[in-house]
Amino acid sequence: MSTDIFRKTYTNTVEEPLDLIRLSLDERIYVKMRNDRELRGRLHAYDQHLNMILGDVEETVTTVEIDEETYEELYKSTKRNIPMLFVRGDGVVLVAPPLRVG
Amino acid sequence: MSLRKQTPSDFLKQIIGRPVVVKLNSGVDYRGVLACLDGYMNIAIEQTEEYVNGQLKNKYGDAFLRGNNDLMGKSTTRKTLTLYSDGFFSFKMFL
Repeated sequence: MSTDIFRKTYTNTVEEPLDLIRLSLDERIYVKMRNDRELRGRLHAYDQHLNMILGDVEETVTTVEIDEETYEELYKSTKRNIPMLFVRGDGVVLVAPPLRVG
Repeated sequence: MSLRKQTPSDFLKQIIGRPVVVKLNSGVDYRGVLACLDGYMNIAIEQTEEYVNGQLKNKYGDAFLRGNNDLMGKSTTRKTLTLYSDGFFSFKMFL
């Protein structure tokens, strides 16, 4: 068991996806969640379920309103800032370094 | 690449480094090079592009897709992994 932990900390052989997330600790990341939500914040902690602690977070919720008559789609996004956030892993779809525009 | 019997870990070693498309059941497509994959179907892809209908976002570097599941049973997020081979054949793996 202890050799397993040693390997996970010091290995440079093929790593699991979760090992690569470890490289993003203390960095800003972008998280895409279910229900059209996105988070941008600093990754403080994570686990195998992808539960995460994020600091200095901006959450963006995107909604689509459809006009009854014209059927046109109106995309709205709502943002809010949260200093420290626990994210439950089952809502997470994707984790990446912050997006560059374009 | 042959289709003889091989262990799952041999298979995983073979497909790493290949260009893939991962399609989620939400309809979003992620295209890139498969960096790694684990027994829980978590996937890391490099040079990822996200397609929803048309192209939406470009992600450079690694993108991690969460595997939702149970190893033996059904996933709540169905993912289709399509591997583009050297032209001899291609196959889809349902995750």
